Amino acid sequence: MTMLKELAAELIGMFIGEKRLTISILAIVAAVGSLVDFTGLDPLLGGAALLLGCLILLIDSVCRSARAGAS
Amino acid sequence: MMALSTAAPAVGAAFLASIVEVVEAFTIVLAVATLRGWRPAAVGAAGGLAVLAGIVLLLGPVLNRIPITSLQLAIGILLLLFGMGWLRKASLRAGGVIPLHDENAIFAAEAAALVEQASRQRRSLSWAAGITALKAVLLEGLEVVFIVIAVGAGRGLLVPASLGALAACVLVLAIGVVVHRPLSRVPENNLKFGVGVMLSAFGVFWTGEGLGIAWPGQDLALLLFAALFLGAGLIGASLARKLRVEFA
Repeated sequence: MTMLKELAAELIGMFIGEKRLTISILAIVAAVGSLVDFTGLDPLLGGAALLLGCLILLIDSVCRSARAGAS
Repeated sequence: MMALSTAAPAVGAAFLASIVEVVEAFTIVLAVATLRGWRPAAVGAAGGLAVLAGIVLLLGPVLNRIPITSLQLAIGILLLLFGMGWLRKASLRAGGVIPLHDENAIFAAEAAALVEQASRQRRSLSWAAGITALKAVLLEGLEVVFIVIAVGAGRGLLVPASLGALAACVLVLAIGVVVHRPLSRVPENNLKFGVGVMLSAFGVFWTGEGLGIAWPGQDLALLLFAALFLGAGLIGASLARKLRVEFA
């Protein structure tokens, strides 16, 4: 049972390292998907927004953790 | 004929990620073997590999039934979460905010924990040793399995990606057998940085394809994405170093 719990924790930990980063990535994907699907946004513009958004999120997350001195 | 521009990043990502994970698993299995002999270590490691093989055999047929765009979107999102998480941590390590992995310290801690666990649970040391080896292989191997499936499933590259992972296992084990101590000189953070870059690039690529985006240059776009994530990771590490000094 303990091993199953550890296994589940490992699986969850693989994808949810930092909650704010995780939620932000999911929000960007959802926003781009909605804009492309429902507003007729040019898919390439959506792709550029996805890429740029992820790059900005990464730098922001690193800086925030550095400021907090946390992992 | 598969394009080299698609296969090379997939095989490279699987190979490098597997080196990182296999080194971590090897450290723990070696601690077990040093403390209790190779038999429980080998039995536990083989058990872990058997469970991993079962997971792959179960997942393989399921993946074939999922429509390719849904698969690309799901795997792309998971790769983004996983890859950017790795890249974030690697940037923080490079910036000196969190400490680097120390395989020697992990080896010592694992050996001490094993003795403590055996005495606390009143189990034989061999049993605890075998379970520890099994857990190490299973937990670290799960990440390898995910990476191989994630970078391989979207474009029918499961076999090349698996071969990349297998090559890493053979390489680490061969070096481990020769040096017979924790592989503490592996530039683990550089590898993690590189793998985080590649997985994040794959993540944007698959997510985009899953959303119906036709990337200009097709597979070559992966190289541009990787270069941009590398740049962002390096900028992040540099800013983290400055902020760490500023806020110290």
